[in-house]
Amino acid sequence: MNSPPGRATAPRRTPLPFLLLLLLLPLAASAAGITGRVALPAARTAPVMNQRYEIVSRAGVLATNPPLAVVYLEGDFPAPAAPATVSLPQKDFAFVPALLAIRVGTRVEFPNLDDTFHNIFSYSPAKRFDLGRYRPDEKPVPVQTFDTPGLVTLRCDIHEHMRGLVLVLPTPHFVLTAADGRYRLTGLPPGRYTLKVWLDSRTTLSRPVDLAADSALSVDFP
Amino acid sequence: MSKPEPQSSRSEPPAYTPTHALTSENPKSKIQNRKSLTYRTRLLLAFMLVVSAVTAGGLVLAERNLAAAFSRELERTFAAELGAQRRVQELRQAALAERCRALVRKPRIHAALEDGALDLLYPSAVDELRDIMAPTDSAAPGGLRAEFYRFLDRHGAVIAPPASFAAGALAPVETRQLGLPRAPDSPQLGFIVRAASGAPVSEIITTPIVSGESGEVIAALVLGFKPFSTAAPDPGRSLWLGGRLYFGDHSRAGDIARALSAPPTPGVGASLALDGVPHLLFQQPLNPGSLYPPAAEVNVYPLTAFLDRQRLLRWRILGAGGLLLLGGFAFSRILVNRLSRPVEKLAVDSAAHLAGRVRAEAALESTHEELQRAARFSADASHQLKTPVTVLRAGLEELLAHDRLVPAERESLAALVHQTYRLSGVIEDLLLLSRLDAGRLRLDLVPVDLAALIAASVDDLSALPDASGLTVETDLPSTLVISAERRFAALILQNLLENARKYNRPAGRLRLAVRTTADGVELTVGNTGRAIPAAAQARIFERFHRGAVGENVPGYGLGLNLARELARLHGGDLRLVRSADDWTEFAVTFRPA
Repeated sequence: MNSPPGRATAPRRTPLPFLLLLLLLPLAASAAGITGRVALPAARTAPVMNQRYEIVSRAGVLATNPPLAVVYLEGDFPAPAAPATVSLPQKDFAFVPALLAIRVGTRVEFPNLDDTFHNIFSYSPAKRFDLGRYRPDEKPVPVQTFDTPGLVTLRCDIHEHMRGLVLVLPTPHFVLTAADGRYRLTGLPPGRYTLKVWLDSRTTLSRPVDLAADSALSVDFP
Repeated sequence: MSKPEPQSSRSEPPAYTPTHALTSENPKSKIQNRKSLTYRTRLLLAFMLVVSAVTAGGLVLAERNLAAAFSRELERTFAAELGAQRRVQELRQAALAERCRALVRKPRIHAALEDGALDLLYPSAVDELRDIMAPTDSAAPGGLRAEFYRFLDRHGAVIAPPASFAAGALAPVETRQLGLPRAPDSPQLGFIVRAASGAPVSEIITTPIVSGESGEVIAALVLGFKPFSTAAPDPGRSLWLGGRLYFGDHSRAGDIARALSAPPTPGVGASLALDGVPHLLFQQPLNPGSLYPPAAEVNVYPLTAFLDRQRLLRWRILGAGGLLLLGGFAFSRILVNRLSRPVEKLAVDSAAHLAGRVRAEAALESTHEELQRAARFSADASHQLKTPVTVLRAGLEELLAHDRLVPAERESLAALVHQTYRLSGVIEDLLLLSRLDAGRLRLDLVPVDLAALIAASVDDLSALPDASGLTVETDLPSTLVISAERRFAALILQNLLENARKYNRPAGRLRLAVRTTADGVELTVGNTGRAIPAAAQARIFERFHRGAVGENVPGYGLGLNLARELARLHGGDLRLVRSADDWTEFAVTFRPA
């Protein structure tokens, strides 16, 4: 529940080690955990070889393809001591990852890993910003702090197809499901919470949970 | 020429005045002139008619060709003009549409619309449209510069820009014209009437904004431009919108608008007279199929130059036609002169022939009529006389038969009876002559023995009382046959013998001789006595001529005439051979049988 988990997942390409780490750290404080499975919609197309996730819209609803869900626990958690910083690079004219879940107040860096200009901006109510054009080697790397919970759509003014999603959550306890929908939330403080699943820009499922100390719940959606 | 001549020669047959007709050439030539002139004039008229008809036909054909050629040229010119304008228009539309398509793909505009940031829509567009919303005083080609822009929401309503925002000022009445029932699926071209000063009409292109997320039309961008280049205003070029005309010459807009069809159709429209000058209208729909009200570009072309050229060409053709006509007339004249000359000559000759023939016929007719008249008179007179003479003789003979007559009375009566016989002879001779004259005497020719006839006549002669002292000599072949009618041959002989006896001297001589000649049979009768005076010899054969003998010699001057006529009728003749020195000799010829 501290900042170390966010920090450790800088590349965010391998969520499992991060989860394990997350799992190991709070063990000493008798934390609870939730495992389960989210029923994800079928992928629209056959997954491509490199398993890159992209933001697609269907009838105005933004989601990732292949489908992913974000499971998070909503409750009253103490504010972090220092804001966390994560990196959301643009590589091969795409945001990596396409869907980024962060806690409110997190600083996000937008390094340009391509050979051309990018101009990342957002008109989303949760966070409006415009980074302007910047080159790959530009220092300092443009950074934005996301202070309002909500879904932020990232666009590039130069490359109209580029789309990224930043899910700003008011909780430090969240996790992305695996491709098969399985998830595991660990290190959770005991108490009564609402467990939510963000499926797409329009669909968020929720379920109340009562976590006892050192308990292990299993919650499946839906 | 004298006055009565043409009248007489024209109204009467020339034969009645033969000398006039022959000597006066003028009236005749005048007649011929008139006739030949008529012929020549008619020929010339016919030629002129033909030449005129041919020229007129040629002119009509040329005129029709000319009209067709001009019509074709007009159509070609305007088709080219229309095509050029349409191409310019299409190029411009394509360029504008491409600009608009690029604009509506702009991520910021999409972001503003899709990410719930309508407040950022116009501010974002400012940047995106900065280059197309050039300042009005820019020297860049004005056609692609936008005057204003607006966005329509998905329901087609205008999204109002923030107050005092530089999206181009539009009055509410103008803004209302931008709206549509819904955001269009495809780019729409339209025209709106501007309330403010400046260009009276703006061209708008409304391009749909399709969501990159939903694929739906979520909005539309409306860009307003100046309609075609107004840099060089063409008074003949105007824009039709909603029944009114904009740009162009405003003074004639009403007339032109009335001549146009309400929904604009492409192509050449009606000709239109403006200020008395014919103009050709053609219109080009500018936004066919658009959701906005239809508009059209209207071009008005004065046909003055065309008509001037056409008129000039027409005059030239007419002039050429006139020259052709004159040439044709001249040629006709020459040809007619040449053609009519032999015909005229023929006409003159024929007229002369005709006049001669008429004269001869008239003369013949006249002679024939006179002869007929004389013959008829003789015949009538003879017939009328015959009956009273017969009655007279019968009466005298009845008196003579009376017993109580004294010898002197009887002798007188006998003389009177004798005179009636003479009268009858004269009447008979006259009757015969009249029949001869009238040509009504038919001979019944038979072989007649002339010798026997002479012998019988001599016998009769010797029987007469006062012939006793005469010596009759005859020199006759035994038989001599002629072709004659017996009683006429006898009459000829009798007359000759009668004459020979009458004009003989006492105890004179009478000689009859017959001989055969090359012409036929000739009988000569000679007698002694006083010769016929030389001056009278030529007239002894005339009717009622009696020579210069004394009145005591009986006769009435018909015998020789009758004998000659009869001899000639028989194909012979009677002539005086000689009359001198106490010897007079006649010769009569007959045709041998």
